[in-house]
Amino acid sequence: MAETRDINVQARHIGEAAIIYASDYLNKLSGERIERECKRQLESGFRTLIINFRDTELVNSIGVSILVGVIDAAEQNTAQLIFADVNDHTVNLFEMLGLTRHVQIAKDESEALSWIRPQETSTASRTLTADTRR
Amino acid sequence: MAQVRILARTNRDEFFGRDVEVRQIVRQASHLTDARGLILMAAPGAGASELLRQSYDQLFARRGDPVPIYFAFRRSGATASEIARGFFQSFLRQYIAYRRVDPSLADAPLSLAELRELALPGDYEIVNGMIDLFEGATASEADLVNFCFSLPRRFAAQGRRTFPLINCTGVLPFSDEGARAHELFIALRATQSSFVFAALRRQVADLTHNAEEDRDPPTALHLEPLSDYEARRALEGLARRYQIQTNEPTRDLIVQQLGSSPFFITQFMQAARDAQVSLTSFLNCQRLYVDELLGGRLHRQFEQLLRALTEDPQTKKMLLRVMYEAAVSDTRKSSLWAWKKRLGLATNEFERIIDVLHACELVNSSGAFIEVNAESDVWMDYLRTQHQLEVTGESRAKVVAESLLETLKRAPRAMARKYRREAALGLRQLLQQFNCQSVPASLFHYERFSESYRGERLDLINEGLDAEGDLIRLPQIIYVAPGAAYSATIHGDAERCMVGHGFEAAEYTEENEVVWLVAELESKLEASRELAEDWCDRLAQLGREAKLHHPRIWLIAPEGFSDKASELLNERGALGSSRQQIELLSARLNENRTVESATADEFEMVIPMSDDTELIAARTVEEIARRVNFKPEAINQIKTALVEACINAAEHSLSPDRKIYQRFVVEDDKLVVTVASRGLQPARVAPQNGENGSGEPSAKSRRGWGLKLIRTLMDEVEFQRVDDGTQLRMTKYLR
Repeated sequence: MAETRDINVQARHIGEAAIIYASDYLNKLSGERIERECKRQLESGFRTLIINFRDTELVNSIGVSILVGVIDAAEQNTAQLIFADVNDHTVNLFEMLGLTRHVQIAKDESEALSWIRPQETSTASRTLTADTRR
Repeated sequence: MAQVRILARTNRDEFFGRDVEVRQIVRQASHLTDARGLILMAAPGAGASELLRQSYDQLFARRGDPVPIYFAFRRSGATASEIARGFFQSFLRQYIAYRRVDPSLADAPLSLAELRELALPGDYEIVNGMIDLFEGATASEADLVNFCFSLPRRFAAQGRRTFPLINCTGVLPFSDEGARAHELFIALRATQSSFVFAALRRQVADLTHNAEEDRDPPTALHLEPLSDYEARRALEGLARRYQIQTNEPTRDLIVQQLGSSPFFITQFMQAARDAQVSLTSFLNCQRLYVDELLGGRLHRQFEQLLRALTEDPQTKKMLLRVMYEAAVSDTRKSSLWAWKKRLGLATNEFERIIDVLHACELVNSSGAFIEVNAESDVWMDYLRTQHQLEVTGESRAKVVAESLLETLKRAPRAMARKYRREAALGLRQLLQQFNCQSVPASLFHYERFSESYRGERLDLINEGLDAEGDLIRLPQIIYVAPGAAYSATIHGDAERCMVGHGFEAAEYTEENEVVWLVAELESKLEASRELAEDWCDRLAQLGREAKLHHPRIWLIAPEGFSDKASELLNERGALGSSRQQIELLSARLNENRTVESATADEFEMVIPMSDDTELIAARTVEEIARRVNFKPEAINQIKTALVEACINAAEHSLSPDRKIYQRFVVEDDKLVVTVASRGLQPARVAPQNGENGSGEPSAKSRRGWGLKLIRTLMDEVEFQRVDDGTQLRMTKYLR
């Protein structure tokens, strides 16, 4: 079953922000892929990460624990991390587990982009789609 | 058609785990040109007697040359004449039975006159001739023994080949039976026929020395206890035959407790049959076990042995005391001199007792030191209860009660040991498979592996590994033993810390000698520097204590190592791998693991513990909840709780069958979801990781949130008591 789902992490860039799209089920494997992609974007110099959960129906605690690692990585790199398009149930879970104290949650991608810190929005917008497969 | 039982005590189709051995014995009978003996070196209780009996029945049914003859020495204090007469009569009786194709004669009490009458016309001359000689061979006991033991040779001289299957597993050191068994072995070696000679493995050398050293040495066949799997099958067979109800957990418990010994298992199941007890709960099993230990078959087995050691009650009492006190001491090891002094016995008598205990593997004696063998739960339990009854004089009721309480408390621990052993990576096999193969070095350096492959697809990881230029050539490991056998600093499961001795590049020189010290760490997250350092220190100390040359430390942690731990490993020149790296390494060393598939049902389903199968459960419960009109938010909560319960079961249980059993029951106003798995029972009292003192989960703690989430999302959550494993019952009310 795991093999049949999309195993790529989709990402794109808007200005200095990297937007990473979570899959339908946030578990250990998909969480690690998000983590890997986030670290890759941080290494590439992006200081704003937006994780878009528009496709995410279900999360489990292991997936959430890996998001904590992403939060740590963002903090260490003084990067801004925003979660966007998170469904109500998942927001509740994030609250229960204390994540909302460490990350901003925007209702959608546009709102997340509007929250980008001013000093990091100077570059003209450019859009691209990245397939992160090695 | 099923094979007819002649001497065997078990039906052929219920005799498990010894097919290879039976085949080898039967093949041995067919050796015409290379007629050599086969020495069966048996562990105590490994079922050597039944193996020989089964082989006899198979040879009888096969109807070929030679004629099988089975003879067992008994621990009965028989005289040399009695043993010789017994051998003579067994030999002729079984010869006639075989020739007449009449299995009923093989074990029938026949007089010499009846033997004469029953011999076929073609055998009449030789049978009568031997009986005449036997009746005349009474000048001395020695003549009688010599004559009787020469029967195989005398028959062979007349072109009548026999295949003696001699069972000496009941023979004790320094006994008359032992001396006669040795004489029979020498006589058999003098014939030109094949034979099987079975003895306890620690006694073989005493029974077979000085026998025709110039001839080809006999072939050795080692008979170890059954594997857990085969022991369980044997138990299932007995349960069917005796119509005793059992279930998977109780079968596993019995096998663990009885050390997979076919002898003990048979005794125990016969006791269950006699007592008409169903073995469907741990309590029933342990009640029967304690009864058996204090006065049943298990008790009799040890009692007979101790009686054979000494008739004197005081000596027996002191022996129990000395053994028990040694068993509960820290090292279990004492000097032989101290034992001798405490027992106050003459040297000969003391040596005889120690030799018997050693041969039966109840103690390990190595000349200067002696230690009680604590590996057998049955022996340890017997020793403890007899010490309480006979030495400290406690009341029988108290001993029964305490034994029952103790064995019940021990049951989950025994099962946990089994599950941990089964869930372990199999370091012994892994090391033995090294065999000088070259593998990508990143499989032994977690930080490198993580940097390149963490979160990557398996096929891409394998591609990357294939392309790696940095290879490590593994040594040839020639001997592997548990670390605990080398040092007292190593505790825990024996299978999780191994010492592998070998040579680099398979060159057997002192410079190339190497010792791999390997430990499997327990850590849910990447192992910390502190944990890695602790194990590096322990293994280094083991290396120093055991004076090992060129030790190499390799730590394995399920989720790998933190950056700081990896730094430490590099500083120490140690290797570090995650479970994923080990799986990849195993695949490259030609080892595969399989996961059993699952079945499903409408409102009861079983899913395998593997990637994402909890989603199947979540979608099923979603459909059920939707049908009974739960609101979308409640459905999401139920789904998440179920997913967490499944993950918990998969992560913590070390489940032997790797399955999660689920039941969804819809009642008027609620949905009850039960999630069960076999395996370890979780610690429920201590706060879970991720919960701070107030019960609030801390985001930075990262793991251990599952149960907290379940309790928050569902209305009622309850762990239910089951004998083996965990059963979580979660209820959600319709609002």
